[in-house]
Amino acid sequence: MLSRSSRLRHAFITYPLLFLIGFIGLLPYYWMVSCSFKTKENMFLVPLQWIPNPVNWRAYGEAWRAQDFTRYLLNSSLVAIAITLGNLLLASLAGYSLSKFRYFGRGILFLLILSTMMLPLEVTMVPLFLIVKKLNWPNTYEGLIVPFLVEGFGVFLMRQYLLSIPNELIEAARIDGASELRIYAQIVMPLCKPALAALGVFTFREAWDMYIWPLIIVTKDSLRTLPLGISLFMSSFGTAWDQLMAVAAIGTLPMILLFFFLQRSFIQGIAITGLKE
Amino acid sequence: MKCPRLLPAVAIIVTMIVALGAAPQPAKAAQPTNPTFAFPAENITIEVWWHEYGPFTAYVKELIEAYKKVHPNVTINPTIASSTDMNQKLTVALAAGTGPDIMDADASYYVAYYAKGVLEPVNLSVFGVKSYQELAARYVSSGLASGTFDGKIYTLPYQGNSMSLFINNKLFAAAGLNPRKDAPKTWKDLMLLCPKLKKVEGNRTVRKAFEFPYHSPRWQLQDLQPMTEQFGGKILSDDGKTAHLNSPETVKALTLWRDVTKACGDPKNTKNTASDPNQDFLDGFTAMWITGPWATPQVQASPIKNDFTVVGLPQVNPAKPHTMVYGWAWAVNKNKPEVQKLVAWDFVKFMLAKPDEWLAKAGFVQPVKGVNETEVAKKFPFFAVHMKDVQTATWYIRSENVNEIAQAVGRAVDSVVYDGADPKAALDAAQADVDRILKK
Amino acid sequence: MRALASTQPRPARKRLRLNVTAKQALFGYAILLPTLAIIIVFRFLPMLQAFYISLHEYDLIRPPKFIGFDNFIDLVRDPLFLNSARVSITYVVFSCVPVWVLSLALAMLFNRQIIAKNLFRSAAFMPVVMPAVVNAVVWTFMYHQDGVVNTILGWFSLDPIPWLRSSKWALWAIIIIGIWRATPYYMVIFLAGLQAIPHEYYEAAQIDGASPWRRFRHITLPLLKPTTLLVMVMSVIVAMKVFAVPLIMTGGGPADSTRVLPLFIYQTAFEFFKMGRAAAMSVLLFAAVMVFTLFQIRLFSHGEE
Repeated sequence: MLSRSSRLRHAFITYPLLFLIGFIGLLPYYWMVSCSFKTKENMFLVPLQWIPNPVNWRAYGEAWRAQDFTRYLLNSSLVAIAITLGNLLLASLAGYSLSKFRYFGRGILFLLILSTMMLPLEVTMVPLFLIVKKLNWPNTYEGLIVPFLVEGFGVFLMRQYLLSIPNELIEAARIDGASELRIYAQIVMPLCKPALAALGVFTFREAWDMYIWPLIIVTKDSLRTLPLGISLFMSSFGTAWDQLMAVAAIGTLPMILLFFFLQRSFIQGIAITGLKE
Repeated sequence: MKCPRLLPAVAIIVTMIVALGAAPQPAKAAQPTNPTFAFPAENITIEVWWHEYGPFTAYVKELIEAYKKVHPNVTINPTIASSTDMNQKLTVALAAGTGPDIMDADASYYVAYYAKGVLEPVNLSVFGVKSYQELAARYVSSGLASGTFDGKIYTLPYQGNSMSLFINNKLFAAAGLNPRKDAPKTWKDLMLLCPKLKKVEGNRTVRKAFEFPYHSPRWQLQDLQPMTEQFGGKILSDDGKTAHLNSPETVKALTLWRDVTKACGDPKNTKNTASDPNQDFLDGFTAMWITGPWATPQVQASPIKNDFTVVGLPQVNPAKPHTMVYGWAWAVNKNKPEVQKLVAWDFVKFMLAKPDEWLAKAGFVQPVKGVNETEVAKKFPFFAVHMKDVQTATWYIRSENVNEIAQAVGRAVDSVVYDGADPKAALDAAQADVDRILKK
Repeated sequence: MRALASTQPRPARKRLRLNVTAKQALFGYAILLPTLAIIIVFRFLPMLQAFYISLHEYDLIRPPKFIGFDNFIDLVRDPLFLNSARVSITYVVFSCVPVWVLSLALAMLFNRQIIAKNLFRSAAFMPVVMPAVVNAVVWTFMYHQDGVVNTILGWFSLDPIPWLRSSKWALWAIIIIGIWRATPYYMVIFLAGLQAIPHEYYEAAQIDGASPWRRFRHITLPLLKPTTLLVMVMSVIVAMKVFAVPLIMTGGGPADSTRVLPLFIYQTAFEFFKMGRAAAMSVLLFAAVMVFTLFQIRLFSHGEE
């Protein structure tokens, strides 16, 4: 129980801090959107123009028509969603296995998986391309998705989180006669919502961001993903900054939508200790 | 059960086997022949890859459509990537034995590709000539130099760009200068103009008189090379085995660069980027800028419109001009079936057939004879100036290590301009880097 | 290393009747299998191949030529590699450490009773949501001489900084972006970890008269160990691999001041055509990160079970 004066003190520090943090977090977004509505003349005004005046409504339409952005957006969405779902399922299973079960080689397998996170993609890219070529996957969705269906990160994150879930819960369920799969699906996973949400957001973003891999593996324009589209757009005819910002803004939208969708998971939190939100 | 124990062991063994089996296979060596030229009747599909540049992409797509009308049995699949991405994409594809039939790369990259044996020599019968010399004669002298290896021609340039001095007329007029009469011929002239054109308010540069490029080491070397030659030096020996980065001439060139920059520019303040190299000039932020004829459509689309002048690259000694030319070229992949290679060269011939269209639609100058006489050339702003700089030019250095050399030069330039390093010391370091690289 | 030690399952009986422990072990293997298969085929094999290539000279098109450890010997004496390693380490240290501190602090801030918490938390989380390419483009714009960042500096009467056009400041510009992007993410992870700490512990400690600092040191920190390990290891690995932002924003310059290792590796492979050398650099990078990770795991292992 905090006294009234210390609660006021807390409020005096807390709320301005929160506003500052929010400001810092949102500033680039605001800048991006505001520039997408600025006219070319006002783009580099000194001093800065914070609020576009006059408003340029054409940037979004012009940019969108310049390339096949709808297609790119759909491709990126498809690939990112598939990779995210794959990671959520497989990484949680793997994390569960590595944290709550004992078997020979568990430690080595964990290290093996962990080790694959540490090498940058640039170097493993050529051997990976050769493998994918053998499978006949260049220029296909499989080629874009399957190699990334599960990653060391996800496994690591889920394992660490699951370590903090008490074994008693699981043991109790076993004594009650529940099958292993049931325990996983109905007891363990619901407790992992915050971790799954965090993993989902991170995986989606990394999948959305993928640049080099789609660059090498895709030659058909119909499979191009959005970051490649943006890069192509930038090199097309000098930079129309308003259009570039418009494209950037639209490219951020799916991530924002996903985030708001997952917000509820953050809100629900863990029920285990009855800690109020 | 032994299952759980064996599993990891088996996994590891399988791993090793597959890893060794998946080792990259060497590219197949194929001996090219020059068949008598009869156009194939069967359905053929070829792939063309090129780097994105608005007017260029639009024109090539037009050409693809037109070719389909002439040869309906040929399907051409295009792939486009930004210029920075294209090199990587191409290299990985060639490494895996795939890649396009027709590739598009900067002329200096082809040294590496030739050395790796992935280029198919020009098909003489397709071009209707009996020898490579006959083909070369159609181009301005040394027009095909960059694509010629061991006496055979492997690449054909669709652009050979000189870099010349673009001037913003309005900014000149505002300073009381006449773009025709007062345009600088030498670097000294240029520096004399700067106090009138450069505007500084407090600690902010409002306008620059002239600026060198800093967004890309390649652009930096493209400017430093002719400057070095103007002082009588050379960046790279002709056999490509020795660099002369810390020779007295190169040091003089870099010192000149530094002095011009101090008087005329402000490298800390620029909006140029790799995909947008001309932005400062287009914005009217710098009065003078060195770039190529391909920038003309961009300039005309900017607020400058047609109010600009182009003069030759500034010289140290106007009596002995030295300029630089670079370019992108088409080449054909050696590791494809004979009939596809035939069709590929035919399409390249088709694409290059109308140099005046290249000029009009993309602003690209093919270094081929007779361009200046065309109507388009006569109407292209300052075409004669661009062409003159092409004629006095040496090609951008050719070497398998061209990128490393450019980076070493870029490092030296940056450290002189941004960190105030001594030009000789900076170039000594660059020379040491390049010596190490070329030694291997 | 107790957490990673293995226990031998007891051998199962001859016929198909497995005892409970073996059954559980089998289930553990089974659910690990899909992940293992994908990671081995698409990550581990290429990794082994990369190690193999590091012992060769390979320009990606001509067949590789075995040269033993020459690449490694060369690298340790190459000032360009050493510079790149230095840039990477600087980046990692100065972006990760602030991230650890800030994300934990923010998580504790958000763990309280706050009006409109969701709104503030969403706003704080937004940096995570921006894709890398967009990030690079927008921040380049913001770092212009007369751009947003310098304008804000001007509000505090500070001189404008030439950010990306300065060999002194360019790396800091990128570090700032790294901190901006990473902090909210780890804040959420810490938040999840904090919420797993039962409220009763704090209440008991308060009744005993413990100060906030003591509560933090003796309840929060120890119980956060698995989470802290995760955050530290992940953030370092991610920071060591950072690539898109320097590539798009500066290309490694000016004067090599932002040439982080992944960028140098990429350029060595695809601009200089020296895949063997690039692979060797990756091996060194890998070894460094591996050592750090194992060290961290060892440090934290006694907090895990």
